[in-house]
Amino acid sequence: MYWKYAVRRVIYAFLMFAVIVFIFSAIFNSVADRVMRSQIQETVNGESRAFLRQGVQRNQDQFLVWKAQRTAELIGMYHLDEPLFSRIFWRTIDTITFNLGQSTIIRSSAGEQDVMVIVTERIPRTLLLFGTVAVIDLILGVFVGMRKARKAGGLMDRTTSMGTMVVYGMPAWWFGMLLIMLFAFTIPLFPSGAMHSTPPPEGIGYTLDLLYHMILPVLTLVVLGFWGVAYITRNVVLGTLQEDFIMSARARGISEQKVLFGHTLRAAAPPIVTMAVLGLLGSLFGAIVFEGIFSWPGMGSLYWQSVQQNDIPVLMGNLSMTTGIYIIGLAFLDLIYGFLDPRVKVGGKA
Amino acid sequence: MKRDRLEQLRSFWDEFRQVRFGLVGLVLLGVFIVIVAFEGKLLTYGDVNTRWRDMLYWTNSPRYAMPVWVNWFTGKDYASSAVIEPHNVVEGTEGLRSVHMEFPYEYKAGRPPRDLLLDLALTGQVALQMTIERPDGRTLSYSKQTSSSGSQQLRISIDQNLRERVYQTVASGEDPAIAASRNPKQINAVGALFAKAQPGVFSNPEVLNGTYTLTLNVTLVGPSASVDRAQVVIAGGVSGILGTDGNKRDLWSGIIAGTKWALIIGLLTSLISVAVGVVYGVTAGYFGGWIDSLMNRIYEIFVSIPLLPIMIVLSAVFKPSIWIMITMMCVFFWVGPVKTVRSIALQLKENSYIEAAHGLGATHRRILFKHMIPQLVPYAFASMALAVPGAIAYEATISLIGLGDATVVTWGQILFDAFSSGAVLQGIWWWIVPPGLAIALMGMTFAFIGFAMDTILNPKLRTR
Repeated sequence: MYWKYAVRRVIYAFLMFAVIVFIFSAIFNSVADRVMRSQIQETVNGESRAFLRQGVQRNQDQFLVWKAQRTAELIGMYHLDEPLFSRIFWRTIDTITFNLGQSTIIRSSAGEQDVMVIVTERIPRTLLLFGTVAVIDLILGVFVGMRKARKAGGLMDRTTSMGTMVVYGMPAWWFGMLLIMLFAFTIPLFPSGAMHSTPPPEGIGYTLDLLYHMILPVLTLVVLGFWGVAYITRNVVLGTLQEDFIMSARARGISEQKVLFGHTLRAAAPPIVTMAVLGLLGSLFGAIVFEGIFSWPGMGSLYWQSVQQNDIPVLMGNLSMTTGIYIIGLAFLDLIYGFLDPRVKVGGKA
Repeated sequence: MKRDRLEQLRSFWDEFRQVRFGLVGLVLLGVFIVIVAFEGKLLTYGDVNTRWRDMLYWTNSPRYAMPVWVNWFTGKDYASSAVIEPHNVVEGTEGLRSVHMEFPYEYKAGRPPRDLLLDLALTGQVALQMTIERPDGRTLSYSKQTSSSGSQQLRISIDQNLRERVYQTVASGEDPAIAASRNPKQINAVGALFAKAQPGVFSNPEVLNGTYTLTLNVTLVGPSASVDRAQVVIAGGVSGILGTDGNKRDLWSGIIAGTKWALIIGLLTSLISVAVGVVYGVTAGYFGGWIDSLMNRIYEIFVSIPLLPIMIVLSAVFKPSIWIMITMMCVFFWVGPVKTVRSIALQLKENSYIEAAHGLGATHRRILFKHMIPQLVPYAFASMALAVPGAIAYEATISLIGLGDATVVTWGQILFDAFSSGAVLQGIWWWIVPPGLAIALMGMTFAFIGFAMDTILNPKLRTR
């Protein structure tokens, strides 16, 4: 049953998320504690200033006692007075219920300090950019990969393989810098960054403006990204082309085009999906800081911002959310795989 | 057994030789290794490894100077950087001791340098008097007295200290009305000094080529006074093989010094992580059962963590040194080969010779390390080569955000400095292109080697 498999996979993904968040909480426990305590201190100081402004007269002792009580109360509320394991546990619970706390400096576009809001408003922007890139990479990569496999060892195959190797270790952000210098300054064709013009145009112009701003970053990532997909596709397809059923299909006189795109691609799809998309997922998450180069206001830029302003809660909230999206991506991949290759569901125990 | 291994290696090499890009990769790797080995000879600034961030070390070089070879492509040459040592040194001993020296500067370029500096180290009480004689006979003079108990460094810059003197020297050539309207403190002093004293000398200077002689007379007052160093520094419009950055640093030296770090980061990370991954995968595959399941779960946890984000946060929180950063990368990189190795191990353990070894009473450890892992060595080498570029790129990316180890020079940190001082927007291409190109080239080198091994290991991928 496909849905049973799907449900199992989703539950598993959630468990994995919980475990990883627990590990994160353990690694960053002392930092998180420190930040939390200083935030509590700030809250209490703010409250006492408010009291003083209202002119509430208290004697010094009473005031100090109140201050200590209030601090202790807040510390208790955030479980900071509990033993190590319990602190880690509560932080894990907080994170997986998306209660990510307050930022120290960074604010959302509406001015809120809730880390969850700050991070979530950036998710769609990142998904838009990288999703577009992934789709183009995949289409272009599979297409080129098939062409490569058809004449393996030929000129096209060799040159594109060379391309794969040349860009293999090239950081996307560096290539982005080059393209900005070239196409935004030397020849001013595209904007050098950001997601919209200021002020953004209304109506259909808004979308066009967005697309116009997307061209250069998407171009950068696609130019570097599709080679990998093409190479993997080529290898998988080449393996499949040696199977007997391909030979029999050819023997039956089925056109080469049909053999390639009908028979071969169909059989090769599951491994292509896992290997290529998995590689894509990894490389795109490895390129996430690339957003900073194009001042694209997504999650990757948030890493820059929170590192520069040393905003630990935002940094860790962003990490948890990025990890969550990554795990969803992996689960989604498995679900597609299971859909394309029914054997997976049966082989769950092996 | 040993001869077998040697034979295997030789046949592997014979096959490797056939793959042309693999050989190109090896040659490139050789070049990088030569660069690291002869680093001392290649560096134009020898102390770059320790004083890269020491601004004092770079005070004499120009800011934003282009690479020297830019002159090959321009009609009007940029003056290159130079250091002129004293000529005709005469020491006078009559009355007060004095030193006389001359610094001739042959100015042939089409565009003036950024600055001309007199760089001195003096001890005790001294009075100095300097004159610059231009090819057209006009002179600029300047004198100064200074005293200090120990050795002091004195730097007299045309651009920063002598603008008014330059104005006085050339203003008579300019239309008096225009000359009067100019504020001497705001002129382009270096441009005017090296220009013909004619109308337009301040606004549109025309170069005056020829020999400029700086004459320096130092009067040494007191017995302990001395001149410890005297040189004239021309901070050129072009400087060094790769130019200088916004902090006046010589980029060629920085990139050469960064080469060894890239190699260390890449090789160490891939070596350790692939070794761990191979042993891990073989162990899981060999034992099977609950050990396999447990190891698989742990593996899946590591696979589900996005690498770069966790590395960024770890670096931001713990501010690691380069060695800790390498360790951190190993902690997350080892998962790479596990899946493939495990499946290979599952096939290997079905072989009858493994069973035979079992029957002879071989321990698990012996079977793993003597019979199984050696067979995986070629695969391990291929994955090592392919893991190197990733490790280098990750370190560069973390440095780009500003979290690099500040005690070493890496390519990523050069790019961080470039990006954060806006080199992209100012078009300072010689600050951006070379370090990234170095990263890309090294990545390509290892990709060539790795892909070549890959084609040998999977012969059916070669052609149809």
